[in-house]
Amino acid sequence: MAALKPFTMPKWGIEMTEGTVAEWLVAEGGSFAKGDLLALIETDKITNEVEAERDGVLARIVIPSGETKPVGALLAIIADGAAEPAEIDAFLGTFKAADTKVAAGAAAPAPAVPVAAPAPPPPAAPKVSIVPEDLAISPQARKLAEERGIDVSTITGSGKGGRITYQDVDQAGRPPAPAVGGAPVVIANDTSVVDGIYASPLAKRLALIHGVDLAEIDGTGPRGRISKGDVLAKVAPAVPSAAPVRAVGGPPRIVPMDRIRKVIARRLTEAKQSIPHFYLRLEAGVDKLLELRRIANIVAGGKASVNDFIVRAAALALIEEPGVNIQVHGDDVHHFAEAHVAVAVATDKGLVTPVVRGADSLSVHAIAAATKALIAKAQAGRLSFEDMDGGSFTVSNLGMFGIDQFDAIINPPQGAILAVGGTRRVWAEQADGSGKFESRIGLSLSCDHRAIDGAVGAKFLAAIKRLIEDPERLFG
Amino acid sequence: MAEMMLRDAIVETIRSEMRRDPTVMMLGEDIVGGMGTAGGPEAIGGIWSTSTGLWAEFGGNRIIDTPISESAIIGAAAGAALAGKRPIAELMFADFVGVCMDQIWNQIAKFRYMFGGKSKCPVVIRLVYGAGFNAAPQHSQAVYSMMTSMPGLKVVMPSTPADAKGLLTQAIRDDDPVLFFEHKALYATKGEVPDGDYLIPFGHARLTRAGENATIVTCGMMVGFAEAAADSLAQEGIGCDVIDLRTSSPLDEEAILDSVEVTGRLVVVDESPPRCSLATDIAAMVARKGFASLKAPPELVTAPHSPVPFARELESAYLPSPAKIIDAVRTVLAYR
Repeated sequence: MAALKPFTMPKWGIEMTEGTVAEWLVAEGGSFAKGDLLALIETDKITNEVEAERDGVLARIVIPSGETKPVGALLAIIADGAAEPAEIDAFLGTFKAADTKVAAGAAAPAPAVPVAAPAPPPPAAPKVSIVPEDLAISPQARKLAEERGIDVSTITGSGKGGRITYQDVDQAGRPPAPAVGGAPVVIANDTSVVDGIYASPLAKRLALIHGVDLAEIDGTGPRGRISKGDVLAKVAPAVPSAAPVRAVGGPPRIVPMDRIRKVIARRLTEAKQSIPHFYLRLEAGVDKLLELRRIANIVAGGKASVNDFIVRAAALALIEEPGVNIQVHGDDVHHFAEAHVAVAVATDKGLVTPVVRGADSLSVHAIAAATKALIAKAQAGRLSFEDMDGGSFTVSNLGMFGIDQFDAIINPPQGAILAVGGTRRVWAEQADGSGKFESRIGLSLSCDHRAIDGAVGAKFLAAIKRLIEDPERLFG
Repeated sequence: MAEMMLRDAIVETIRSEMRRDPTVMMLGEDIVGGMGTAGGPEAIGGIWSTSTGLWAEFGGNRIIDTPISESAIIGAAAGAALAGKRPIAELMFADFVGVCMDQIWNQIAKFRYMFGGKSKCPVVIRLVYGAGFNAAPQHSQAVYSMMTSMPGLKVVMPSTPADAKGLLTQAIRDDDPVLFFEHKALYATKGEVPDGDYLIPFGHARLTRAGENATIVTCGMMVGFAEAAADSLAQEGIGCDVIDLRTSSPLDEEAILDSVEVTGRLVVVDESPPRCSLATDIAAMVARKGFASLKAPPELVTAPHSPVPFARELESAYLPSPAKIIDAVRTVLAYR
């Protein structure tokens, strides 16, 4: 008898309701050692590696890779040694998924509340095949057709005896190629107009293309050589561009959203539709901050950006106004003792928001280093779940694109997001009534009105402004 | 199952087919083996020992020792086939197929077509081919690529004793002319051979190694080289499909495309020179029908565009080798 344990869909963070088994890294029946990677699980946010907690055998894979299951669902059965199939079957029959709700943030895990245990996951429904079993089609072509939902009945196979190949299905799933050709083209072949004439090779080519007789041209080049310009002068009025003609008309190019794009679309739609946003805007003077940054970078030997100073200011302001340092979960508002500031990073694949944890207790240059590391990981697509999880506030900065000011969509479950614009020079009246150019930065705070009232948001934003305009405090 | 050498599988197959079907006969140079020598018939058993004992059992009317004239051998075989026999003609060296080319590609290959299917010409021409024997340019060539390009002929090249039996049985019973290429270096290869009637239908390749990283397509003696390369690469975690074509005409496109659709990377190993060859034919087919699956340009491991050299060192440089195949697999894997 081997001791059997269920391997269920893990729950990483309070928002995770389901996950996808991206890949099993141990084959069914394969053994593994503590610390080996068992599987890759994909969530809305991230693909995470699951490590074995102890040595064992992957006795049975219940959920094949590619399938999405709710948190707590039985994915596989782990044994401490070789297990009989009958033992595994018996275990499968008695397994009840546990309630795996966990508390968020620093709070202790809530005791598991007994709830009606969901039935063990039903055996995978027989896969509905859209490709007839007896069709002459290669295995990869069949797989592709089923994955993309391509109707193969209309495909004429290019394989032997009309068998359908991968290429046939792949092509059937694409929009038609842009049309090439149209009106008959004139192919220059009469070289008599250029033969035996003193002209540059390009001039001869142009003469052939445009049917210009070089004998009628007096060359302006050295020793009467005919140049490109001489020929083009004859080709009046329009000089055809050598640049390729931009395709006009035809169907639009259709690009299906990838997983990250779909997640961004779903989460932001949900946020914008379900969160009552309100927006607070102001401008902060940054002349002092810019000067201090120059000196601080020299002294600290680092390279903190304006944004790193703003993240630091936001973190301190979040501690000063804890009403903004929150997450909203249904009817509960989670308050945090530290400021976990997420930073919006644009990558090739889309927007990600890694978290600078405990930013209130980090120096500006420590924030700069942490942010730089997170950005590098984001660009490489290697952010871990921990890097992305648990933010209590987000800073999004589009100043580098010359944007003066913008409003951001809240990154749920957080309560607010700060949108930072670029620095601009403004002619401003001074206390003594005189005028002077100042550098200012546009700030816009989006708040979730369910949890944050206007006055709280306003005090918070004013605190950020004070910190930015009195930047020595950022080093306190 | 019995273990035997490839040459014995061929003799045994001919023997059992001659016992089964009285119209099966054989013609070739010195196939009685020793005729006219001091030792007399069967003294040497044919220079390849692929007809040993047949004359003693079936006599001179069915085992015909011919003059040294490939033209006569193939011409006689063609006539006998038209008249209802199932002749097996042996060309001691495939290189001399040139002198009987008119019989093969203007006559044998075209009878069925020209007479609207009313005549058939079930000839098996056994051609002994291949380099590696230090036998110089006129006795070492792999001419199957040339024959593959001719419509009306089936082209077969076994790589194991079992395949030799299954494919030769099919060839003898086939109603179309079959060119049966036997590599001299494989005659002594040992392997298990199924007992009794054993036929391998033409156009069905054999997957001898399975892996997901690259596809190696090959035939004849090159199969063993490809397997050695695949086994060596497997030690590094690189998995290769090795496809033994068995027949180049008909060609098992399906097996090749199915594999390339998984691996995306193709290496073709072919003993013949590289122009207008089996290798280029397969590469072109995959480029056309498997373009969507390819992740790298196909690599060809072939002999150079040169006659087979006589010097041993040059001859081994001429032939494809496991090391060259490994290099080619690395090349297709390195392509980004």
